[in-house]
Amino acid sequence: MSYFNVEQEVKKVKTTLNECVDFSYRYYKKDKQKLAFIFLKSIIDSQLFSSALYFPLQTYEGEFSFDILKNDLIKCVDIKEVKKEEIVDEVLDGRVILLTNFSDRILSIDLLKFPTRIPSEPPTSPVIQGPREGFVEDLQTNVTLIRRRIKSQDLVMDVVRVGTKTQTKVCITYLKGIANKKIVKEIRQKLSKIEIDGVLDSYNILYCLEKRPGSLFKQIGNTEKPDIVVSKLLEGKVAIIVDNSPIVLTIPFIFIEDLQNSNDYYTNHHYSSFVRIIRLLGLLIALIAPGFYLALQLFHYNILPLNFLITIADTTQGLPFTPFLEILFIFLLFQVLYEVSLRLPSYLGLATSVVGALILGDTGVKAGLISPPGVIIVALSKIALYTIPEQAPQITVLQLVFIVLGGSLGLIGIVSGMVYIVNYLNDFDSFSTPYLAPYSPRINQDLKDAILMNPSFSMKHRPQSFSPEKKERT
Amino acid sequence: MDKSMKRRVRVILKSPMIIVFIIILLFFTPYAIYSPGESRNKGVVTAIGIDKIEDELEVSLLTFIPTANQSYQEKSSVISGKGDSVAEAVYNAQIAMGRTIGLAHAKTTIVNEALLEEDITSTVDYLSRVASLPENTVFVCTNKSAKEMLQQSQNLVNDLGLKLEQIIAYNANNLYVTDTSLEAFYKGYYSHVKSSIIGYLEVEDDLYINEDNAEVSGAESVSGGQSEGLQGSSNSSSGNGDAKGKHIVNQGQAMLIKEGKKVAILDVEQLNGINLLNPKSINQIIEIDGVEKEGEVYSMQFRIKNKKVLISTTFENGYPIYMAQLILGVKLVEVGGEHDELRLNTEFSEITDEISAKIERAVKQQFTSSINILKENNTDVIGIGRKFFQDDRKSFKKFIDDIGGIENADKFINYVTFKLNIVTQSD
Amino acid sequence: MKKISINQCGILMVLCIFANKILLMPSLMYHQTSADSIFVLLVLFLLDFIMLPIFIKLKKVYKDDKFYDVLKAKIGVFFTKLIYIALLIFFMFKCLLVFSITYVYFKQQIYQEEFIFLALIAFLPVINHAIFVGVRSFSRTIELFFWIVIAGFIFCLVISLFTPISMPLFFTSNSSEFFSSMYNHVFAFGDFIFFFLIMDRIDFNKGKTKNLYFYSLFAMFLVLILFFLFYAKYQSTAFMHNNALADLLVFSVQFNAIGRLDIIAMLTIMFITLFQIEIFSYAFCDCFMSIFPLNKTFSVVIFDILFLLLYYVFIGKYETMVASSLFWLPYLAVFVNYLIPIIVIFLLLRLKNNINDS
Repeated sequence: MSYFNVEQEVKKVKTTLNECVDFSYRYYKKDKQKLAFIFLKSIIDSQLFSSALYFPLQTYEGEFSFDILKNDLIKCVDIKEVKKEEIVDEVLDGRVILLTNFSDRILSIDLLKFPTRIPSEPPTSPVIQGPREGFVEDLQTNVTLIRRRIKSQDLVMDVVRVGTKTQTKVCITYLKGIANKKIVKEIRQKLSKIEIDGVLDSYNILYCLEKRPGSLFKQIGNTEKPDIVVSKLLEGKVAIIVDNSPIVLTIPFIFIEDLQNSNDYYTNHHYSSFVRIIRLLGLLIALIAPGFYLALQLFHYNILPLNFLITIADTTQGLPFTPFLEILFIFLLFQVLYEVSLRLPSYLGLATSVVGALILGDTGVKAGLISPPGVIIVALSKIALYTIPEQAPQITVLQLVFIVLGGSLGLIGIVSGMVYIVNYLNDFDSFSTPYLAPYSPRINQDLKDAILMNPSFSMKHRPQSFSPEKKERT
Repeated sequence: MDKSMKRRVRVILKSPMIIVFIIILLFFTPYAIYSPGESRNKGVVTAIGIDKIEDELEVSLLTFIPTANQSYQEKSSVISGKGDSVAEAVYNAQIAMGRTIGLAHAKTTIVNEALLEEDITSTVDYLSRVASLPENTVFVCTNKSAKEMLQQSQNLVNDLGLKLEQIIAYNANNLYVTDTSLEAFYKGYYSHVKSSIIGYLEVEDDLYINEDNAEVSGAESVSGGQSEGLQGSSNSSSGNGDAKGKHIVNQGQAMLIKEGKKVAILDVEQLNGINLLNPKSINQIIEIDGVEKEGEVYSMQFRIKNKKVLISTTFENGYPIYMAQLILGVKLVEVGGEHDELRLNTEFSEITDEISAKIERAVKQQFTSSINILKENNTDVIGIGRKFFQDDRKSFKKFIDDIGGIENADKFINYVTFKLNIVTQSD
Repeated sequence: MKKISINQCGILMVLCIFANKILLMPSLMYHQTSADSIFVLLVLFLLDFIMLPIFIKLKKVYKDDKFYDVLKAKIGVFFTKLIYIALLIFFMFKCLLVFSITYVYFKQQIYQEEFIFLALIAFLPVINHAIFVGVRSFSRTIELFFWIVIAGFIFCLVISLFTPISMPLFFTSNSSEFFSSMYNHVFAFGDFIFFFLIMDRIDFNKGKTKNLYFYSLFAMFLVLILFFLFYAKYQSTAFMHNNALADLLVFSVQFNAIGRLDIIAMLTIMFITLFQIEIFSYAFCDCFMSIFPLNKTFSVVIFDILFLLLYYVFIGKYETMVASSLFWLPYLAVFVNYLIPIIVIFLLLRLKNNINDS
């Protein structure tokens, strides 16, 4: 039987990894026995390496055998045997490979450690009351955060690797017996078909999972909070956790989910219902207010009440822009300011808001370039947009569409546009789930957690729109 | 066409919305970009006045013309045009104004009394055909000139913060208790009784001349018309000169119209008489004289605080009889004559038999005089015939046939005998 | 196959029942039968309502069969195609009538100076898209907007109570006027015929069939109330007001200063019209595809071309459209509205006999 030539093997791995700067190995010789550790020093815990691996070898006085090494000497939790071909992958995964010249078996020890964030409250979804933990970039931590909340044997977490170069771990998480099997199967198929060299964030695989890639509308949910993911798993959805991304995808997704906020479940349900109505109103205002205002100005002066008409007519008199251009101008101005304030560091952000609000807005009005009602309407719609920040990109594009429709066709254009969009949304069922459920089609049982919210103790059924395997929440 | 191009075209064809959007962008967005919009290029008319000057009609439009200011106040001017027809006059006024007019916010239409000498429908026909004119436009008549009235209405805004339609709405609520709109006029005109009732406002010369007011009063006036040529040449006869020392007088009068022509002007007393049968109409004052108490004689004024009207109709010997029972809840509001106010007021609030009888007499008198006006002119504006028709259709039809068929249905009120029974209660 | 639930079917029924009746018809009918038009309406509604149990029975007997196949098996291809051609014309003209009536309303009240392309360019793509996505998707859309539209409708009715209204005078017209009015306006009825066409696309397992009765009675009730309030408000001038639902919303003089609420009527009417045209155009394309072995795209293109051609070349003006609808469409309507149900009854009876025989 031929055992390893340790030096040669180390050299081979070194060559395969292009003599990387963080490539490391250590030999340990005792009599004729020779051991070699191969690892990437950048991603292993060096302290643990010396205390759990090296130190026990030094103190041991007898002759080494592979089983003694594996079972007694190495004091690590995650130890496994691997094949020779797997060495490189294991090393890249942050494991330490142990080769010996007295056995043909290879040991892989998990000593992975790299700098990670501690779970903190995500800036996109702060809560007033309720859990503040958020996902981090490390898959293992994220799995821990979910596992801590679901102590059930039904929790399934399958890992597949995506990306030919990055070999990113993608974890399909669901509750067996609750999540719809067909959906899980469909997701697996889609993930296996992905041909891409790198997955850096969950957004990279988003498009491959969508039913209509390239559509404006959001078809897959995303969140940064473990409590939301768990509540969605309990509803019968499937979560997809991608290594190196704090954003977890949930499938299937329906529109109403963005009207719901995790805050709603941690406060009184009457108040939550009210807030949801406000959000819906905000959505409507954000969508059509500028287009509607344009339609009224250009085509339907007759339905404006006289006092309002006087104000509009007086203030728009003598402006250099036509109404359409004026609204478009203010709209673009706001968008530019918004982009700038996002990118700039916070100490400069204040300066932009001063420039934006005072100089551009106020002086623009005073100089007679733009009219106060125009500024109010666009500002209102832009603020209303952030009652549902999750949908902000979609609505911003639609705002522009409605501005064009309202400006060129009037009210008819706006109504037709709305009906068209709803028709379109009703036609695409992402993962055989009606997008606008529970209102269209109406699913009475799901109305308990729709715009008007019932107290959580009365929600004894999972939402039927996702067709879960088990309907009752027991 | 290379392959990628073809694929792109196929993708576009798959989503028809994109095509439509492109069409809209191509055809309509340029329009939207250059169009200044209705709100900027319309002259918004808030009131219309129609006069007859010699053989021509003059239409005056109280128009709001936007001016670049930050005060957001309604600044209106009266712009008029002349023509053989209303349509032509409006057209000429438009030319004078230099804008198209928008009638959607016209809340008041004023016609000159002189126009009611003939059938007014031929004059207001244009207005009934303009779809954008709201149907609840107030329709009133004035004694002198509608144009002057419009000019004076500007003073109302300046002096009292009142608008013309507010005065009329007040009247409609408290005096006529009926709509005095174009719609209401037509409703009466096309019914079998062919009569309707509209509001009547006067413009009178001021007894005193308020110098300060006269300076600012009166709106600008621009008139255009055929005589001045197509350009209208803006004969800016300043409204100030004409309007000086005049004001709108609201005496709560109303005009009775039959087949589109004026038949009578009713004053407040007469209107109250007509409104007696209308349960919605309250707050009228009833005056009685010669009440004796402890050897002294007083006059008293009562206000109707609530009212219940029970009506029944029958045909006796083939003649219609209209019986109405009025239950009036009245309240003493004023006592005339010399008296010890405090003591007498409390005592008089009790309604004695004597007072009750006097109220009954006063009310009956008021009612009879009003009904007689309606009878004389065959103007059944309060729906007497309608009530008979609803109650006893057969006898009514027979009676109508006897007096000459449906064409003479308006004369029915002449044959009706009214029996009024009045019960007075203290409110 | 993508199917619709009973609830959605009921909602489509409501919109079909509203079709052509809520704007122009009250004033047109007033010409002939004054306030008695309410009774004309009631009788025509009753005649229509009888179709509902027939439809339900037929659906229960032939569960997932297409109406076309049912007819073909019983009366042969030729007669089936004949009936379908009649339906084709029927639905095309229903579309045109709905569109032209609303178009006039738009032109008078909303777009004073704009031209027809505006309405067409906005409506046609939406309608075409609705045909493409199919009955399930657009009935879901209608379901989403349904209660908003109904709220708007009821709002218009309620507002009319703030103006002086009085009992309209009934029983003033004679029987010949009554029947001729019935005959003249029969084209606006026959609202359940559409459901025979899509009977294979309705899932009777979802929901209770009695809901269908509820929805249709609800819609008929609303239309009757509309007629009543309209006549009560306008009395002798009812003939002057061509847009009943919108005209109801006009305030009295007392409320004049409040401002304008027309926008509610406008939006309600826009939505209702758009949905109705979607329904009828879908029916047209469905008939078309049954008669001719062509695909959906082709039928949509044919619909568009015919719609535009008929609107411009043959019908052209609104008055002619309405006048012609009074003149020759009743023949077609009587044929479609009442002959098809009779055939269905005949089919059902024969089926019963066959079962008894065997």
